[in-house]
Amino acid sequence: MFEQLVDGIFWDIALWVFAIGVLWRILSIFRVRNKPDYSEPRASGLAGAIGANLRRFMPRSEMVSRTRLQFVAGYLFHLGLFALLVFAAPHVLFIEAQTGLSWTAMPYWAFIISAQIAFIGLMLLWIYRIMHPVTRLISDVDDHLAAILTFIVMFTGCMALLGEFNGLRVLHRFMVELWLVYFPFSRLMHAFMFIPSRAFTGAWFGRRGVKA
Amino acid sequence: MSNNRQSRIRHHRMVVFSLLSLLLLTLVLPLIPYAVADLGESAGKVVNPGADLWREVRQRDRSVIGTTRVKGVDSGVLINVYGEDWRQFRMQRLIPYGAALMGIVLSVILLYYLVRGPLRLQGGPSGKKIQRFTVFERTTHWFTVSVFWLLALTGLILLYGRFVLIPLLGPDGFGLTASACKEAHNLFGPMFLVAILMLFVTFVKDNFYARGDMTWLIKGGGLLGGGHVSAGRFNAGEKIWFWIAVLGGIVLCVSGLILDFAVFGQGREVMELSHVLHGIVALIVITVSFGHIYLGTAGVEGTIGSMTTGYVDEAWAKSHHDRWYAEVKAAAVDDSETEPAGGGSASTGVASPTRDG
Repeated sequence: MFEQLVDGIFWDIALWVFAIGVLWRILSIFRVRNKPDYSEPRASGLAGAIGANLRRFMPRSEMVSRTRLQFVAGYLFHLGLFALLVFAAPHVLFIEAQTGLSWTAMPYWAFIISAQIAFIGLMLLWIYRIMHPVTRLISDVDDHLAAILTFIVMFTGCMALLGEFNGLRVLHRFMVELWLVYFPFSRLMHAFMFIPSRAFTGAWFGRRGVKA
Repeated sequence: MSNNRQSRIRHHRMVVFSLLSLLLLTLVLPLIPYAVADLGESAGKVVNPGADLWREVRQRDRSVIGTTRVKGVDSGVLINVYGEDWRQFRMQRLIPYGAALMGIVLSVILLYYLVRGPLRLQGGPSGKKIQRFTVFERTTHWFTVSVFWLLALTGLILLYGRFVLIPLLGPDGFGLTASACKEAHNLFGPMFLVAILMLFVTFVKDNFYARGDMTWLIKGGGLLGGGHVSAGRFNAGEKIWFWIAVLGGIVLCVSGLILDFAVFGQGREVMELSHVLHGIVALIVITVSFGHIYLGTAGVEGTIGSMTTGYVDEAWAKSHHDRWYAEVKAAAVDDSETEPAGGGSASTGVASPTRDG
């Protein structure tokens, strides 16, 4: 019964909530109108937007020593998670079954390495968030919930890896559905918003001749 | 006439005699091997022609590697003679002795806590804080703790689950749990190597033998002889735990990787040896960690803060790590002499940290 719900109606609801929620969040942000800026631009806003996007892939030089852990762990987690999400063999098969689209899955050893670095990155980032007095102070329930939920999704996925027990697969899929429903209403939205956000700040400062 | 009659009688006798002889032979001949066997060794040994073959197959006398066209590790070995030894060790020694070890240590800790209670700060806390661990040190510690306990719990379920969980979950439920734990254990295992390396690099500089460590050990850290014993940043007990964690961790990682990635030509005997070593060392490290957890939380008042906020009370530092406290205060004095007036954080009641968080 639960398996049928998870593979059926729950999955449909989760996908719709995710798609509509993400779209609604993005549109609501883009619909916010700023006051028209009549000042003569000192430099190109577009160049500022592109520059800010590229520069923020690396920490500012004066911050490197203080952000080394977040920088390394952040890249480990995001690259590992992206590889798992898109190129893990079970995911490629699942996407093919759902959409008909297919591409080459990564080999098993690459899957293991991706999972390792994703877990190491996520755990270090979350522990650092709790341990550092400033990040602990500015973090709220959403930050912790997003990290914990993402960890559980990854963890249940790993537990189901052997594929011998359908119950583990169902558990993983159910956690993915919870994650999809939570996604649009949380800071997980940064996956979609980090580029426009950087672009807005970069363009705003760029028009004023300031490197953001 | 009489000759014919005599000839017929003789013929009948021969037929009867032949039939009786045949009957006798039929009955007696099969008994000959038993009769010969009863005569003992001197009468000659009857050897089963298949005995040698089956002795070789069962590998009772020695391990024999045969020849086969199948290419692979141990493909020439029909039966691994050490497999049964390994199974016996796991079931009859590792599992019961490991459970007894953990149970006894937990009981002793509980008993000690009930009888003596936590070690209180003499004179109470001073209200002034001093930084003991930086953010990076605490992050490293909790990362190691997280990976270690995830591995420990999944490992203990794999070792003891059939006794503890089957009555609760049933065979199917335990099968699912064991499969999940095995995958999680195998996947998180290599991460422990990263954690141990981080732990080693972060804390090794303060964990070498130093003057006063032997005295600390002789006095049992203050348990024997009464009163606190002088110590640096880490006392001898903490140093021993550090090296147990690091060296034990390395053994666990190496043996675990041998078990996890069976693609480097290691045979069954190497795997069995690795498993035995992995199990013994894991149970030892888990058991010792009980003591570490107790002393770091409920056992000694004011200790837990060092790994949560990074700060401890000055009275705690003076009481448990007086030499380290003196070093920190001396360094703070040096810093304040070079800083402009108005610097520092005395107004907050927090001593200037010697390490940047």
